Amino acid sequence: MSILDEWIVLDTNVWIFGLRRVPDVPACAQLLERLHRLSVVLPRQILQELQANLSEDEIKTLFRLLSRLSPKVIVNWGKTQQGIITKYQGLGCKLGDAAVAAHLEELGKSRRRAFFLFLPPLFLQVASRR
Amino acid sequence: MDARVEKLASEFAALEEAEQKVLLERAAELSLRRGLVQLSEKYRKRLQQQGEQDQTANQILAKLKQLREEIAAREYPG
Repeated sequence: MSILDEWIVLDTNVWIFGLRRVPDVPACAQLLERLHRLSVVLPRQILQELQANLSEDEIKTLFRLLSRLSPKVIVNWGKTQQGIITKYQGLGCKLGDAAVAAHLEELGKSRRRAFFLFLPPLFLQVASRR
Repeated sequence: MDARVEKLASEFAALEEAEQKVLLERAAELSLRRGLVQLSEKYRKRLQQQGEQDQTANQILAKLKQLREEIAAREYPG
């Protein structure tokens, strides 16, 4: 399996670290530089988190850039189901992470499958040394 | 149309179809990359003006986690 062959969801921290070019996690900026090679889904929770971090003008620019990648980018503003969120909360997720997990489960069903790329700082530090 | 664009269009039209395809893909890739770099610079400049550009990865991550919970609580209060 390769992320080049899968629909993936980049977690908000990947977008933000990449756009901010945070020195500790250069892998995020490197990943955004290769965005054209990926098939990316942005679910509602991630979209709202990006909106909260970027200005209106910045988010418009991001969407305009992403539209160039169509049909390899899917922007999904649909809410996810409370029942699926509750399931993930039952597995130990906080509400926010459960909402993201629920989005992914729904996306996985509609798109056959989706690979969720969540990159915590430790992983990124290791990955960037390779 | 300006002369430079006209010249580029003529050069493009003279290419083989396969070369045109590769060139279009490469141009789209470079254009996207350039756009993201410009967006990143603009974003970082704003953060600098707000005194937030020097936050560590852990500080940013903590804020993102808090934001995630706030948004989810508003969206899914039940």
